Formats: sequence, C-alpha cells, structure tokens
Amino acid sequence: MTGIIQIVLSPLIAFVVGVLFLGLARKIIARVHRRYGPPIYQPVIDVVRMMSQRSISHGALFELGVVLALAGSLVTVMLIPLGGTEAFQPFAHSVLCPLSSSGGLLVVMYLMLFGPLGLALGAGASANPNASIGVSRKMLLALAYEVPFLLVILAVMSQYGSISLTEIVARQQQASWGVLSVPLSAVAAFLILPAMLGIRPFDLVTAPQEIASGPLAEYGGTCLALITVQKAIHLFVVIALFVDLFLGGGVNLATFLVKMLAVFLAVEMINAVLPRVKIEDAIKFCWKWPTALAFVQMTITVLSK
Amino acid sequence: MVSPILLIAVPLGLAFAIPVLGLASKRVPRYVPVIAMLFNLVVSVSLLPHALKAPIVVRTAGWAPPYSIHLVAGPLGVLLSSLIALIGLLVAVYGIDYIREGAKVKYQILYILMLVGATGVVLTGDIFNLFVFFEVLCISSYALVAYRGDSTGVEAGAKYLIQGAIGSGLVLIGIGLVYGTFGTLTMADIAANVSSVGSFRLFVSLAFLITGFGVEAAIFPLNGWLPDAHSSAPSSISAILSGIAIKAGLYAIARVVYTVYGASSILPFLAVLGIVTLLIGEMCAFGQEDIKRLLAFSSIGQMGLILFALALASATGISGAVFLIVSHGLAKALLFLASGYMIYRTGSRDISSLNGIGKRMPIMSLCFTVGAFSLIGLPPFVGFASKFTIVRAVLGTGSTFFITLLAIGLIGTVIEGAYFLRIVQGFYFKPAPEDSPEQTEGKVPFSALVPVGLLAVLILTIGLFPGIVGRVLGPAADDLLDRTAYVQHVMGD
Amino acid sequence: MSPQAILITAFAGAGLVFLAGKVHSHLRDFLAVLSSLALVGLIAWSHGQYGPDNEIVYVPDFLGMELALRLNPLAWFFAIYIAIINAASVVFSLSYMKGKEKLGFYYSMMLLVNAGMLGIVLSGDFLSFYIFWEIMSWSTYLLISYRRGPALHAGMKYIIMSLVGSCAMLVGILSLYAQFGTLQIAELGEAIAGSSSGYVLFILMAMGIAFGVKFAILPLHTWMPDAHSEAVSPFSAVLSGVLVRMGMYGFLLVMYSIVGLKTILNLGAGFFNFHYILSWLGAITIVIPTFIALLQNDAKKLLAWHGIGQGGYMILGMAFGTSLGVAGGIFHTINHGSYIALLFLVVGAVEYRTGGVRDLNRLGGLIQRMPVAFFGCLVGIMGLIGMPLTNGFVSKWFIYKTLITEGHPFLAFMAFVGTWGTILSVYKLLHNMFLGQLPEKYKEVRKAPISMQIPILFFCFVIFLFGVLPGIPLRAIQGIQDTMGFAPLQLTMWGLASGAGALNMLNICFAIVIAFAVVLLLMRLGAKPRRVPQEDSYAAGSSVPAGKYHHSVEFYNPLYQMISPYLKDRVDQFYYWAADKAQGVFELTRRIYTGYAGTYVLYIISFLALLIFLQLAWEIW
Repeated sequence: MTGIIQIVLSPLIAFVVGVLFLGLARKIIARVHRRYGPPIYQPVIDVVRMMSQRSISHGALFELGVVLALAGSLVTVMLIPLGGTEAFQPFAHSVLCPLSSSGGLLVVMYLMLFGPLGLALGAGASANPNASIGVSRKMLLALAYEVPFLLVILAVMSQYGSISLTEIVARQQQASWGVLSVPLSAVAAFLILPAMLGIRPFDLVTAPQEIASGPLAEYGGTCLALITVQKAIHLFVVIALFVDLFLGGGVNLATFLVKMLAVFLAVEMINAVLPRVKIEDAIKFCWKWPTALAFVQMTITVLSK
Repeated sequence: MVSPILLIAVPLGLAFAIPVLGLASKRVPRYVPVIAMLFNLVVSVSLLPHALKAPIVVRTAGWAPPYSIHLVAGPLGVLLSSLIALIGLLVAVYGIDYIREGAKVKYQILYILMLVGATGVVLTGDIFNLFVFFEVLCISSYALVAYRGDSTGVEAGAKYLIQGAIGSGLVLIGIGLVYGTFGTLTMADIAANVSSVGSFRLFVSLAFLITGFGVEAAIFPLNGWLPDAHSSAPSSISAILSGIAIKAGLYAIARVVYTVYGASSILPFLAVLGIVTLLIGEMCAFGQEDIKRLLAFSSIGQMGLILFALALASATGISGAVFLIVSHGLAKALLFLASGYMIYRTGSRDISSLNGIGKRMPIMSLCFTVGAFSLIGLPPFVGFASKFTIVRAVLGTGSTFFITLLAIGLIGTVIEGAYFLRIVQGFYFKPAPEDSPEQTEGKVPFSALVPVGLLAVLILTIGLFPGIVGRVLGPAADDLLDRTAYVQHVMGD
Repeated sequence: MSPQAILITAFAGAGLVFLAGKVHSHLRDFLAVLSSLALVGLIAWSHGQYGPDNEIVYVPDFLGMELALRLNPLAWFFAIYIAIINAASVVFSLSYMKGKEKLGFYYSMMLLVNAGMLGIVLSGDFLSFYIFWEIMSWSTYLLISYRRGPALHAGMKYIIMSLVGSCAMLVGILSLYAQFGTLQIAELGEAIAGSSSGYVLFILMAMGIAFGVKFAILPLHTWMPDAHSEAVSPFSAVLSGVLVRMGMYGFLLVMYSIVGLKTILNLGAGFFNFHYILSWLGAITIVIPTFIALLQNDAKKLLAWHGIGQGGYMILGMAFGTSLGVAGGIFHTINHGSYIALLFLVVGAVEYRTGGVRDLNRLGGLIQRMPVAFFGCLVGIMGLIGMPLTNGFVSKWFIYKTLITEGHPFLAFMAFVGTWGTILSVYKLLHNMFLGQLPEKYKEVRKAPISMQIPILFFCFVIFLFGVLPGIPLRAIQGIQDTMGFAPLQLTMWGLASGAGALNMLNICFAIVIAFAVVLLLMRLGAKPRRVPQEDSYAAGSSVPAGKYHHSVEFYNPLYQMISPYLKDRVDQFYYWAADKAQGVFELTRRIYTGYAGTYVLYIISFLALLIFLQLAWEIW
C-alpha cells in the first residue's frame, strides 16, 4: 500500500514543487532586475491556459516526443529519494523513493536522457531550422556538462562504494555529507548546475531571442503546456539529485525541500546576473574547470580508498 | 614387384621412339608423354607399399654396391617419383593441345627426358649418376625454356644455360673431390666413411655440391635464372620447372647434406638461407605485374620455406618439407597451367589484363583460386596441411632460434596472401579492361580442363584428408634422417 | 541434435544454394532462407543437450590429431546467436539484393561465413577451431570484395590484417601442441594449469593478436571501418553483429575455459596485470572510436566505428573478470549484435529505397515515408545508447556496476564518456536520416518491403524483450559462467536481486508505461492540435524556402572544430606509412634480380666463397 502511495506521491510532489520553483525563478529574477515580476503561481495559470488553446501538430512523433520526455522525467522522480531515513529519528519517515531497488543512480542518469531525447525527436518531426539548431546545441551542451557530471557521480559512488542512491544518502546521514567528503566534486557539480538546468549563462538551447526558443519553436497549446511541466519536473530532479548527492538528502520531506530551496536560490542568483554564452564557450568552460575539479577529486577518492 | 629401373628405362625408350612414331603418324607423338607418365605413375604407386617396408635397392650389371650403378627406391624417392609422374601426366595431357606450333616432336622428347632426369635424381643411389640425371634434367629444360624461339625465350634459356652450366661444373668438381678422397661414388659408401676424413677437405666438396645443386634448387642468391626462365617458358614447361625441377635440386641438396655427409651442424645456416630465400621471393613477387613472373618468384619463396623445413632436422620438419613439396608441386602446376590459357585468352601476361576473367573463364579462374588459396595456406586446401606441419615442427623443436626464424618467415606468408588475394579479387570483382581482345583460340579445350580440374580436386581432397599423403611422410622423413639404416640397406648384404 | 548435424546442414546449405543459383533464382532464395532458418531450428532444438553424448570426433586422424566437435553452454549460446542474426540478414537480403549479380555466390558465401562461425563455436579442439576460423576469414574476404569499387581495398586491408592474426594464432596453437601434446580444449584446460605464467602470457598474446584483429581492439581495428561500410548492408549486419564477436568467443574460450579465472587474475603484478591492461585497452577502444564516429557523415562508417567502440565495452566487461563484469560482457555481445544488426538493416533499407544514398548530409525527413524503418532506427539507437527498457542498458549497467563497486572509476569514466559520445553521433544518424526536412527528391520514396520489415521488427522485439526481461538470456549466460567457475549471480527474470544494488527492469518498465499512459491522458484532456504540413513552420513572419537548406549538414560543427584535430586515426596512418615503406623495400629487393647473367654468376661465385669463408672463420662444420 505504501508503495502505491509513494508512486502517486513523489511525482505529485515533484510537479507541485517544480512548478512553484519555476514561478519563484521568475520572481527572483525580476527582483534582482528591480522589477515586480509575475505572481509565483503564474506557471500554473500558463499551463492551464495553454491546455485549452488549440495549436498545430506536425505528425504523431511531434506529440509523442513530448509524451516521451514528460513520462521519462516522471519516472526519474520515482528513483530519487525525496527525504526520509531508514534509521529511527524524530520527525523522520521512511525513505520516499518508490523505485529504490531498481538500478539506482545508473538508471537515473540514463532516464534523464528521455527528456532531451523526447524533445529532440518531437522538434525533429517539424522542419523548422531553429529547432534543428536548438537540438544540435542541446546535444553538444549535454556532452559538455556530462563529462564533469560523470566524474562527479563516479567520485561520489566510489566514495560510498555503492550505486544505490538511497544507500548513498543513508551513508551521508550516518557520517558526513558529500559536500564535506567530496568537496571538489560538489563545487564542480554546482558549476555545471546551470548547464544541466538550461538556464543562464547556458540557456543557449532555448535562446528565445536567437533561435526562437529552438526546439520549442513549433510548439504551442497542450504540447507546450506539457513541455513546461516537463521543464519543472526536470528542474526538480536535478536539484533533488544535487541535494541527495552532496547535502545528505533529508531526514524528512520538509528538510529535503528546504535544502532544495537553498540550492535553487543559489543557482537562480547566477541565472539572474550572467549573460548567455556561445556553445563553443560553454563546452570549453565545462571541460575546463568543473572537469578539472571533478577529476582531481576522483583521483583523491580513488587513492584514499 | 616391378623393378624401379623401369621408371627410367621405359620412358627413356619411349622418348627415343617418338621420332620413329612421328614418321608413322603426326598425331601419335603428342600422346607418347601421356603414356610414358601414366606408366610411371602406375609403377611408382604400385612400388610405394614395397618401398614403405624397406628401400628397394636395384643393382645393375650384377655387381653389388659400392661397385655398381644402382638405384635406391626408398619411401622418399618413390613418393617423389609418384609426384613427378602425376604432375608429369597431367601436364602431358595439358600439353596435347596447348603446344601448337614449333618443333612439337622435339618438345615431346625433351619433355620426357626432363621428367626422366627428375625421376632419376630422386631414385639414384650413386652420386655420379645423380649428376648425370641432373644434367639430363637441366639440359632438356634449357632447351624447353627456349622452345618458343622468341627473343625473350632464347635469352632466358641462355641465361639459364650459363648459370646452370656453372652449377653443374661446381657439382662435378665437388664429386671429383669426393671421389678423390674416398675412391667411391656410391652415396651409402661415402656416408659410411665420411667421419674418417679431415673436415676442411670434406667441407670444400660439400660447399661445391651445395652451391652447384643450389643453382637448380633456386636458393637465394643462386636463383637469378629462375624468374626469367620460368616466365618465358611455355606454361606447361613452367609448371614442370616450378612444380618438379627445382624440387629435384633441393632433393639433391638434402640427400647430400643428410645422407652423404651427415652435416647436421650446417643446418642452421641452411635454415637462415631458407628464410632469406622465402622473404626475398615473396617480396619480389609482391610488386610483379607479370603473372608468370609473379608465380616464379612465389616459387622461390616456397622453395625457401621447404629448405627451412628441411633444415629443422626433425622427423616432423622433414615430413612438412616433403608435404610442402607435394602441395606446392600440385598448386604451382595448377597455377601455371590455368594461367597459360588465361594468357592465351587475353593475349597478355599483365595481371591487370586478367581482371574480370572470372566471368569469361569460370572454371579456370575457380581452379586458379583454389591453387592460390592452397599456396597461401588457407584451409581446407592442402597447402594448409603442409604449412601446418612445418609450423608444428618448428614449435616442436622448442628452439628460440628456429621460432624466431619462423616468425620472420610468417611475414612472407602474409605478403604471399596479399598478392595472391589481390589477383583473385581482380578475377572476380574488377571490371575487365575494355580493350581486351576476345580471342577465339583461347577457348579452353577439354584436354586442359581435365588436368587443371583434377589438380584442383586433388588439392581439395588431400587438404580434407591429409592422411592420403600423410602415411608416407613419416617413412620418407626417416629415409633422409636415418643414415645408418640407409647405409645398411644399400651396403648391407 | 548433434553438433555434426548442425555443421553438415550449414555447409551443405552453402553448397546447395550455390548450385541452386545455377538452376533458378527462386529455388536459390528459397533454399537460402530455408537452410538458415533450419539452422536456427536445429540449434534451438539442441538446447541443453550437453555432455559427453555430444562430443564427437569427426576426423580421427588429421595429421596425427583428432578433430572433435562438442556442444556446451558457451558453444550453444554463441551458435544460436550466430544463426539468428544470419537468418535475419538472409531474409533481409531477399529484397535488398534483388537484381544484383552473382547472387548464387552471394548467398552461398553468406551461408559459408555462417557455417564457418558455427564451426568455430562448435569446435572441440583448436585445430578445427583454426580451420573454421580461416574458412570464415577468407569467405568474409570474398564477401566484402563483392561490392567492388572501394570494397576491393577494404577487402585487402581486412584479409592482410586477418592473415597476420591467423599466423599469430597458428603459432600459439601449435605451441600448445608442442607443450602438451594435445589440442583438445577440454584436456588443455587441465594441462595448462601447471605451466609458468610467462608461457601462459605468450599463449594469450599470440591468440590475442588473432582475436584482437577480428574483434577490432585498438590498435588492431583499422580494417573495420572500411570493411563494414563497403560491404553490402545485410552482410555488414552479420559482420558487425556476429563475425567480429568471434574474437569475443575466442577470448572467453582461451581466458576462462582454458587458462582459467584464477590464473588470469594473477597474471602479472600491479598495474601490469594482463587482465587489467586488457581492460584498459577495452576502455580506450570505447572512447576513441566513439568520438571518431561523431565525425562521420557516412551512415555505415558511423555505425562501423560504433561497432569498434561497443566492442570496447565487451572487452572491458570480459577482461575485468568478475562474475558481473563477464556476464555483462557476454550479454553486451549479443545485445550489440541485435541492435547493430538492426541499425545496419535500417540503413540498408534506406539505401535500398533512396538509390544507394547513405551520406547523412543528403538525407532527411524520411519518417513520413518509411515509418517502420524509423521505428527500427529509434529502437536501435536506444539500444546502442543503452536507454532503459532496451537490452543495451542492462548489459552496460552490469559493466558499470562492476567497475564502480570494484573501485575502478577511471575505467567506468571511460565507459560513460563513450556512452555520451554515442548519444551524440547516433542521434545525428537518426535525425539526419529520418527527421527534419524531407528533400524534394525523396517525396516519392516508398516504405521498406515486407522482407525488410520482418527482420527489423524482429530485432526491435528482441531488444525490448531482453531489455525488460533480461533474465531470459542471463540464465543461459549463467550456465556458461558455471562452466568457467564464476561465482553465481543472484539473477531474477527482470534483473538482479541483491539488496541495494539490485536492478529491476520490470518495475522500470511498468513505471514508464504507466507514466506514458498518464501523460497521454493529460494530452487528451487538452485541446486537440490541428495537423499542418511540415513546411508550415514558424519563421518569424517569413517562410522557410523548401529544398534550399538542409539543416542537418554539419550538425555538430562547433564540436567538430574543437575535437577533429585530435581525432585522426593515427594507427591507420601508421599502418599505411609502414605498408608504403615496405613496398619501397620490396621494390629495392627486386633490383637484386638485375637480369644480367654476369651478375648472377657473380652471385653464385660469391656464395661459394661465402660458404668457404664461413668454414674458415667459424668452423661451421
């Protein structure tokens, strides 16, 4: 029974929190820019509005791509522990992670591919040049940040000797957080967070002014609504993963969300102040500092084992 | 049991009967070599079981060795004479229609003489007769190389003659030295007394013999005549020269080194020489544009490998060498015969002009492919079984020296694969040159298809069932290795 | 079913098809399909019939050695894998090859290659192994050359490298014989146990060169890109799917069946441990070829480079030597076979319908015209990347997990980076063939014929089946590992059951299916979109001219410019350089034969002088 509750609960949490974060992001940026900004629930309004709008379609794949992306993101959520602990602690509940024993971090990494792949397929079904450019950039950017990200993940997995995310979180709660035991990895991961989220300075995939939002150029109506939801859930997944890997997860959902909020605010500050870079520079950046840091940390971890 | 002497006497008689028969009918002479070789084949094969039991020693004029001229038909000798007869027969059948112009009658006589010479070399037990048969073989081949009478043929024949004559001269000096020392010409008798003489004196005679026979055996650097001679001769003669004649030279060296002198300490030197010959042959063959020259160089390479295997001085090694003699004889004869009609068809010996011939001459090309694969040593053809035996023997010796040489030698095999497979590729997968003349005289007659096809079938059959030849190989190797037994058999009673 | 019957069927099929080709084309096609399917049936039927009944000495005396066949879990596993992929390719060939010349030759060679491979895996001794290996090699050579043109060069490159490998293997095999007096695989395992590690290393090196050439491990890979791209597509599928994996079979046989796990793991010290170095070679084989694949614009060349790269995973898993790693390596072998064959068939179908175009810069938008091919391509690239639900994921997961938990994150990193490079290049494959604009000239392209669709859909099915229920093949792999003395894994039908490091594909599958259904439902709730033609797209108020642009050209241009200077196949360049120099040497050697009788006479006299000098100087006799 708890299993079914969890299965329903965790995507729901992701949806709500993700959409709120999207709204919060706009608010924060507006405030940094000394504007008032839209209300926090603006994304909800947008989604509902778009669901009711009639748009165009370029064929079945055009829509199925979106479905694939969103479904993949929803499943990813189910593999990520959203707070909770196995040991008894006050105010703690058992780990909120419905698919905890289904492959662990390695599956998460692969499931995170469904989102970009689905969007790329959908965008590819149209013949819009902007979409093609956007997809190409997305692929390159993914390669750029995945190199340091893989090093980061490997360092963490080697540090805790496990591929299971729940186990990694449990170890952190017993001993010290990842940010202390693998500090350089944490820094590297933080540096590539904007790239993983597709926000400034790495928002070149959906750059609205340059390539008309790239892969999203052709989308509208229901599809765009679902893409927005996917974006929200993706945001949630990435930040939750960061919290699980470096900040020891949470003993309960509340502490987990608080940690997420902290990380999110830090990232949004970067988003608010930096301009967009070119894709070449994005690759060069990702392969320089974050990679070097993550590599050093991994070497240290391996040698100290 | 028939006497082995018939192997020499009957063909010789038939050879000299050809002019007489030629008076009776113009068509008869061309069938005489077929009959002669068929006879030899039947006799040789029927002798094989006897020879396997004990070498057959035939005395002439009622004298016992060492005073008589005699034949020693051991397993090795009879095996080789069977091979000579077999290839001789098939090539003779091929020659029925292949030889169209020129002095046909003389061709047939010389052809038989050449094979008689080769048969004599492998059967004789007396070193002077070895020389005599050798000369019969060589002189008839000089003439046959120049048979066409065109300038390249004559030039090649003359070069061959010059070098061959020097070689023969050296052999004769060597024999003279031996006779001066021992006062006997029977190989077994010399072998029995060899240890009683100072080494340098003996060595000089050995050096002369090796060099002299080495010219015919195509050992580097004594093989300068070979590319020209083998490529200029008519294809049927090339087949015999490559398939049999050079092996006779090698047989002579092996017999002298192993049986007569027992000079096992120079074997490493011969092994190195073999590998050098192998590599140089294959390297030269690689870039050839002339198909017959290519085949000739490839023969040099294979002779190197045989020499190397002979120099291993182990039973397996010599079995492998003999096996390679057989397999190379079959394959190279096949290749020369097949290329003969291809050259007729295209009017050119350029490899590039043979492109696309697979479509025009399917059977010939297929047989050529079989021969080429066998030479490279690809299973399931006979070349594989023989090369396999040699590699096995090398690793069986366990000596680093030989294994290193083998490793170098295997490079030769790779080169060989490269150029043969390039040709095969050309046959089937390259477009035919546009200006290739469609010559009607190139239509392959039945008399050519049969021997070529038979050779291909033999290559495949022995490759699949190497036991057919394999049973003889062991005794043949012992024949060479076991000096004392040889001496006993010949001198024994 | 005895292994002998399988082999007789295989070889007889090859021969009969050749003869039938002379009679009638339909008879030939029918026989080809029949015999390849019959082989699948025979092998499937012989499942589980292991043991002494199926060890047959079929030639008692081949040069004094026994030639034997045997059936064991390893042999059966590889046999069924070979037979299935070959049968699918033969079926695919029916329409792909229609109207081409020398079809009798083509089909009989396809079946002969198949027979050779079956012979390899069923061999009970190394001599038969070698013989079948060589039959496979030369028939492959002929089949690569079949396409003519540049294929001739590719064929030569292949066969020369292959011959080098064969020579090395022959030395290795016969050294075993010289040492132990037997070539029976079963007996060698016991015999070799007591020999020195130096000797074992020598054997592994000699065999490893042969297997490495076939398997295309760096730096022995250079034949593969040419050969795979120049062969006809159905044969490319066989070539990349199974033929090169004979190297894997060889490695498994020698390393684990004969030498044995314990000896392998203790061969060498520290970093210079045999299996460790082989693992690193595997890792390098993953990374470099995968990134070279990124630079390719020829669909088949791209896949060929991936074939090399994916081989790296197999070697990595296999060489690592843990139960999980080896299981992953073996599993990845058949997985790779299924999706790379699928992808080659898809490319073949596109080639067939577009008139031989496989240049990725000239295709596009074919999804509307060839939906099944698109689906096949999508599933294929998902498998190649290793997306969850496909079989490629499970095997890669096994390999990653073993590398991480055994404490080799650097190797794991190489493997991961390879995967992410794969995503880029295979997405380009999919995108440039099927997505984006449909060029004017392909507006009339028809969908692939049914005989192409069947194998494509079959492989899609296999990929998902093994992806969701990996237990099916893993049971068989477990059987192999039992014979090699590996610790058993805790397998379930849906993955791996062991606490926190478990894998449950069925759960993931359900989750994805449910999520998919929910999202679809959500989409139904929203407003239904209106279908518009592809050209009707947003262009900031103007219109995108049709047929003027191709958005897929130079898809990853920024990255190209960064990495292409570093990604030259220097090994290949080196081989060409060496071949060039060798030819120079050959030319020089030819000058020995000057053509002047005088020189030759000089040679003769010098030789005699040399002999006598040698005797005087060193008393050689």
